[in-house]
Amino acid sequence: MSGRAVAAWSAACLLGVLLTTNPGYRALVLAACLASVLVGAGWRRARRLLAGVGVAVLAAVLLNFAFSHLGADALWALPDGWVLVGGPWTLEALVFGVASGLALAAAILAVAPLSLLLEPQQVVDALPAPLARTGAAAAASLNLVPGLGRSFMAISEAQRMRGWRPRGPASWAEVVVPAVLTAIEDSIQLAEAMEARGFGSGPRTRYRPTRATRADVLLFTAAGLSAVLLIAARALGQAADWQPYPYLTAPVLSALGVAACLPLFLPVWLWRSPR
Amino acid sequence: MALASLDRLSYWYPAGQSRVLDRVTLSISPGLTVLAGPSGGGKSTLLRVLNGLVPHFHGGRIAGSATVAGLDVLHTPTRRLARHVGFVFQDPERQAVYSTVEREVAFGLENLAVPSADMPARVEAALARAGASHLRERRLATLSGGERQRVAVAAALVLEPQIVALDEPTSQLDPEGVELVLEACRELAAAGTAVVIAEHRAAGLLDAGRLLLVDAGRLSAGSGRPYSVRPRPRARPHLEAWHLMGVSAGPAGRALLEGVGLAGGVGEVVALTGPNGGGKTTLLRCLAGLLPPLAGRVERRPGRVAYLPQDPAALLHRPTLREEVELTLRRAGEPARSAPILKRLGLGALSERYPRDLSSGERQRAALAAVLAGAPAIALLDEPTRGMDQRARGALAELLAEMREQGTAVVIATHDAELVAAVADRVVRVENGAARDQGAPAAATAVTLEPVPAELPA
Repeated sequence: MSGRAVAAWSAACLLGVLLTTNPGYRALVLAACLASVLVGAGWRRARRLLAGVGVAVLAAVLLNFAFSHLGADALWALPDGWVLVGGPWTLEALVFGVASGLALAAAILAVAPLSLLLEPQQVVDALPAPLARTGAAAAASLNLVPGLGRSFMAISEAQRMRGWRPRGPASWAEVVVPAVLTAIEDSIQLAEAMEARGFGSGPRTRYRPTRATRADVLLFTAAGLSAVLLIAARALGQAADWQPYPYLTAPVLSALGVAACLPLFLPVWLWRSPR
Repeated sequence: MALASLDRLSYWYPAGQSRVLDRVTLSISPGLTVLAGPSGGGKSTLLRVLNGLVPHFHGGRIAGSATVAGLDVLHTPTRRLARHVGFVFQDPERQAVYSTVEREVAFGLENLAVPSADMPARVEAALARAGASHLRERRLATLSGGERQRVAVAAALVLEPQIVALDEPTSQLDPEGVELVLEACRELAAAGTAVVIAEHRAAGLLDAGRLLLVDAGRLSAGSGRPYSVRPRPRARPHLEAWHLMGVSAGPAGRALLEGVGLAGGVGEVVALTGPNGGGKTTLLRCLAGLLPPLAGRVERRPGRVAYLPQDPAALLHRPTLREEVELTLRRAGEPARSAPILKRLGLGALSERYPRDLSSGERQRAALAAVLAGAPAIALLDEPTRGMDQRARGALAELLAEMREQGTAVVIATHDAELVAAVADRVVRVENGAARDQGAPAAATAVTLEPVPAELPA
């Protein structure tokens, strides 16, 4: 699998999310991303990410619902004097929050395959030559991530055994501080190890130039096609923005806009082999 | 022919008042050079001079001169010296950039812009020299510690350096892993590479090269001498301190231990041995109450459980070592007197130091002081001698013997055969999900520089 092909697909998905506020298209892109991630990575590997996405979406919905008091259909109202949350809580704000949540979820899942499905070296190989050094540093950072999780667990266990108990946010400093310090130390050690292996010497070469497979070409084509159709739909007014305020209206979908989203489902077929 | 030479080299770390290296004069030729000596004595710093990490990466002040492969270390950046000096660090997990063996080994070649067409052959050759050809297609995450360190050696060799420096490369490995790495070192040295290795467990290298002692930043010729550590037989205790009954346990619901039945007595030291990944840590965590068993039951006598995790950094977060120890004592409701345990572990002079500024061996002792302070009913220690020098290991052996006399039940997960022989009443081998009681420990051979330390029973 070529990192560049996956990156192109991710970019096309992001374009679909950012080009229009229409929740219909965003939902389609989200469906493509979700299905692709589940097929490519499997439920077991993706479940933590999906849980995180769920929390982020919920937060987006709640924040918009609680703080945006626009819209005609008030579901209930809190006293005006209450800071931020005071005023009417409207159906429009709730729906807009859901639409924003869709975009957030789609955006996260669009880039998820870059870390879930690709090896760090594939990400580095996907970058243009001028960014290769940055990419190598990023790949090294990615390699530290699993260790961070383990380190956090080990620290909280060790402190628990010394009598520490979580009592409010301040008490977590005894776990968070050593975890952060350990992360910094790990980073410094890795930087030292990279320096000792000549990192930063100048222009880099690559171990094996990657050759695009048929699947990569297909994915490139699908991403390009989707992007072109999305831009065309937008230019022709067929992927217009959607605005729920002040009165809630149903989003309008066009055939061209829907057709633009369909190629994004290609990975569901391409990545279906078990990993 | 000297590949590296240091002439009256002195070094101070940034903000450091004392010399970490004190007028060191050294010449390194092809073959094996073993650096031994106490933790914090300057071994790691000396190795880092060879590839310029000291002073270029770490900063600080340096005096004297150092030449490696004809290059002036003080004026040549590490990235240039990397062509001549390969470096292997202590922790195999904290030096990997990529996730597959082949690419990891090729990383240095990519950095030095070696043509892509030349890389596969050089990767193959480096893996062969490190005895790791069979690992070429593997992912790093699937390798054992010893295999990972061999890959690290290959990654250092791929640049075809004249010198390979290894900083305690075996401190986290089981005996099989240690042998893999030491064998690779012996083979490299025999093939004409200058191999410089800082190592506490030097027994396997004594016959292969010269031994140098680095202590308080000064260098002297060492004379390694093996001696025997003999176990002291003791009567089996009558009172039970802990008991695992048919325990199955493991992380994320996967059983690493299956139906383990094991018990330990008051004032008994039980050593858990076995390969990396065999389940020793799982057993300790289960016993500590950190990992609920999937099946079976765990019973412990009432009282404080002291737990030393594998990574000492998991414990250390107070501004001074003294405060670190006092925190444990305060929470345990015991008098906050830190001096006795610090003195016992040879840390008295470091009590006001920031624990994370200490050397790896000193850190390990700091973590031990932080958990063993006071009077724990049960002490569970995961690799307690990691990175510790001979004297510190002796001090720990004495402390454990004393705790045993006071009735503390001690369980140690360790690869350190000398410690096992010195303090354990019973050895339990943990492997393939089972725990087999092997009875009293066997004698072990240790290596020391003259004289034989009094702390370990000789």
